[in-house]
Amino acid sequence: MNRTGSLYVTGNSLFHRLDGAVKLVLFMAWTVMTYMFLDLRVFVLMLVVGIGLLATAGVPFKKMAFLFWLMIIFTVLNGIFILLITPTFGTRLTGTDTPLIPLGYNTINAETLFYVLTLSAKYLTLLPITILCIFTTQPSAFAGSLNRIGVPYKIAYAVSIALRYIPDLTEEFRSTLNSMQARGMGITKEDGSIAQRLRNLSAVVVPVLQSALHRIDSVTNAMELRGFGTEKRRTWYSGKEMEGLDWTLAVLGVLLLAVGIWLKVRVLKGFWYPF
Amino acid sequence: MKKSIFQLNTRTVVTIGIGAALYGATSFIGIPVGPDTSLRPAIALLAIFGALFGPVVGFIAGLIGHVLNDLLTSGTVWWGWALGSGITAAFMGLIYLSKGFDPQNGTYKGKHIGLFIVYGVVGIILSLLFSGWFDITFMGEPSDKLLIQVTAASISNIVVFSVLGVPAVIGFARRNAKVSNLSVNE
Amino acid sequence: MMQPIISFQQYSFKYKNQSEPTLKDITLDIYPGEKIWIAGPSGSGKSTLAHCINGLIPFTYGGEISGSLSIAGRNPAELSIFELSRTVGTILQDQDSQFVGLSVAEDVAFVMENKAMPREQMKRETAASLERVGMLEYIEHSPYELSGGQKQSVSLAGVLSTDAEVLLFDEPLANLDPAGGREAMQLIDDIHRQSGKTVIIIEHRVEDVLQQPIDRIVLMKEGRIEAVGAPDEILASDLLRGCGLRPPLYVDALRYAGVSLEGVQGLSRPQSLGISGLGERLDRWSEQAAAQAVSRPAEPLLDVRGLTFGYEPGQPVLKDVSLQVGAGEIVALLGNNGAGKSTLSQLITGILKPQSGSILYAGREDMASWSIRRRGEAIGYVMQNPNRMITQHMIADEVGLGLKVRGVPAAEIKERVAGVLQTCGLYPFRNWPVSALSYGQKKRLSIAAILVLAPKLMILDEPTAGQDDRHYQEFMDFIEQLAEQGIGFLLITHDMYLALEYAQRAVVLSAGEILAADTVASVLSRPEVTEPAHLKETSLSLFAKANGLASPERFVQAFINAEKKGKKGYE
Repeated sequence: MNRTGSLYVTGNSLFHRLDGAVKLVLFMAWTVMTYMFLDLRVFVLMLVVGIGLLATAGVPFKKMAFLFWLMIIFTVLNGIFILLITPTFGTRLTGTDTPLIPLGYNTINAETLFYVLTLSAKYLTLLPITILCIFTTQPSAFAGSLNRIGVPYKIAYAVSIALRYIPDLTEEFRSTLNSMQARGMGITKEDGSIAQRLRNLSAVVVPVLQSALHRIDSVTNAMELRGFGTEKRRTWYSGKEMEGLDWTLAVLGVLLLAVGIWLKVRVLKGFWYPF
Repeated sequence: MKKSIFQLNTRTVVTIGIGAALYGATSFIGIPVGPDTSLRPAIALLAIFGALFGPVVGFIAGLIGHVLNDLLTSGTVWWGWALGSGITAAFMGLIYLSKGFDPQNGTYKGKHIGLFIVYGVVGIILSLLFSGWFDITFMGEPSDKLLIQVTAASISNIVVFSVLGVPAVIGFARRNAKVSNLSVNE
Repeated sequence: MMQPIISFQQYSFKYKNQSEPTLKDITLDIYPGEKIWIAGPSGSGKSTLAHCINGLIPFTYGGEISGSLSIAGRNPAELSIFELSRTVGTILQDQDSQFVGLSVAEDVAFVMENKAMPREQMKRETAASLERVGMLEYIEHSPYELSGGQKQSVSLAGVLSTDAEVLLFDEPLANLDPAGGREAMQLIDDIHRQSGKTVIIIEHRVEDVLQQPIDRIVLMKEGRIEAVGAPDEILASDLLRGCGLRPPLYVDALRYAGVSLEGVQGLSRPQSLGISGLGERLDRWSEQAAAQAVSRPAEPLLDVRGLTFGYEPGQPVLKDVSLQVGAGEIVALLGNNGAGKSTLSQLITGILKPQSGSILYAGREDMASWSIRRRGEAIGYVMQNPNRMITQHMIADEVGLGLKVRGVPAAEIKERVAGVLQTCGLYPFRNWPVSALSYGQKKRLSIAAILVLAPKLMILDEPTAGQDDRHYQEFMDFIEQLAEQGIGFLLITHDMYLALEYAQRAVVLSAGEILAADTVASVLSRPEVTEPAHLKETSLSLFAKANGLASPERFVQAFINAEKKGKKGYE
């Protein structure tokens, strides 16, 4: 994350040009699609499409590598966790049991191994679309897009305020922690037992909270003085009018979701296990 | 003076925004207590925002804070857990509806603390059960494994809530208590 | 006769939760096109007056009003805060709270967005407003990339777009460095000239406001208007000091030199005064008064040697920085925002680790292996805003906290806390909750909480920010007393006058490098040092040059000596 707290990378790809609200629609359709299935074929297809789209966006891999690593570490740990705790969970889904790796207290079977692979693919499938959205959308376009898809503008603006002040508050929290640490009231190992460190942490929360409440006052004043909330609706400087391409992709997204729902109900009902 | 909890005036909007920002700003820090588990102050902030501004502001601030934090730091929104954060804050915010509880003006009674702890603990357990259910239903995670995760997270959240959140709210109320008859002792 | 645009008649205001009125019997007419400066120390009611003008009173802060107020012929209480904002545009003190947009353009457009203006029109008007304040090239920047002064200009652009007839600036200089402050006053003046709007400035920094012409000064004290007059009149009288404000340094210098100011014109700027023989008189005075006390070389407490640090390879934030602070010495670390001042203090306190170079304590011990906690016992760090350091409910608890976590026995804690509270003048309030203290007292409390650990050196970050002259002086006199007891101080600041009056030496940091380390008077009369560091030449040396004095530096030194003597005289 850079100093501005956003991950936006400038560019002129299809996704950069796409309206934020359309991206939100695609994001939601993609998420629902992923949630519906437990089928490796679907995920592989989506991953291929997703990574293809990501490649066209021209976001340097270096910038997003950390998110991939985080996700890979998470899925690996999660997978190991599942294999150790429920080594035969796959049987519940397939009704078959093919013992593979003995653990002593139980045996990991092939069904569970394949299930863990499917689940990991499912988690990974969520990644490309999220990365696409956060790296190609300016934070300022976010609130307006939320408003366009039907979120009340006041709630949408609360999101904008959160984005605006996350870096400021992070900096403030950090510097308060630092000054506490110098007084011997930090939260690192050298500052004492866990109970003591928790007490120290709770002490830090007080000034940070106090300052946040103070900020609520002054930001409220600033916004009241400039007429926030006086009208029924509000326009947004950031963003653009919807164009043909935007409509096409939004409709496409909804259509694909509909196809997905049909597939789920009629064809790929459950867990896919080819063996 | 307390306002209706559904009134969305400018102050409410800013409170939600700053509350969410605070959640995001403090979630990078934690005291590690075990592998992959740490005590995070973020849950305490949910308690504080709930108690100070009520369940609606708490819910929205918790949800937005969690979603933005996920977007900026993990590349995926964990919707089940984000909604869970909102639900936790909403439960903790129930205390706001109690008569005579007004930490901004420094007034509270002993029974409010008891009630606050009950709301908080119930909220934490229910919201985590919800998050677990969400992952089982939509992600297809094994239920046995989630039971372990939910239990571990409940314990750590309850610890943070009672050690950080409750004292912070009491401390805040005491700070705002009306001060009268102060005398200078040379 | 022209109608006043703002008219207070026997106006009083009492906040809801207070027993005493904050504004008492205010009668003041402000006419269209005037440039008014409302001056007064903290607690004088000047901010409350501003709230009355922009409608935060009565719409956000309730209370009892008596008397009448009319703005553009109407009673603000009958309008809404937003309707009122079409007449009065406010630029708030806290630039970060005022700047709510995620980019420059959005922040300027905020009012237009709220009016639901179509996007095309909004884009045109935003660009036009930014052009007027000279910020068009920053249109796509985010607030994190701007300095405080630039953020303020953006706020001004936003207000200009509303066509408000009155521009109200609430402490516009509070968070700016000297160069930024000068630019801000220049911009306000330009806009005033071009637009003919009424400008109201609320401030307590006299010399900085007077860099540009002002029509009338309204002096406030304890909720009342003390005086209203043209700058020259007010400066020639001794009213400023009586109201807890600091007259310009050259005006004080003239007083020290025994020059009568009665009826003198042109005092509001450091310029040639046309008093015959003035230059010679001042030269004679400086010759006598400038003798510099030879300071004994202090035993070095902190010795920073060749420190280099960067967050990313190849981009050092600090390059080969060396500086020393001796026991009982006050050293000012001057520099603009982003020069590396806070990075340096984080290296000294151990939050960051240097890439090369070393920090020696008491002249010999290398601190590299010291933990942050151990460093904290030797070197105290005090943040700018005391509210960000205070965590406890009661004063005594706050001071004792650092000892408690170190396992010091309760009886000893009590004794040491009492001792420190005595030193800091807080002993009479020891049983008070923190919330009952004033800002200045909290500032002392934050020092006390560090002092109790008995550090030999203290780093104070912007120690006087947000304090008016009286509190500023009280606080710094207190710091001087501590220095006399042998504690070394490193003041991190962009306040040159603070350095000038209280520091023995100044170290100037710019873009991560030490530009100069010398006596303050010498450092601040060298443009090749002051300009890159966003400092400015002092009004004293400008005044000396304008009046043809032989040596500006000597004049500055004479002033410093006279100040110190004056202070000793009071005691």
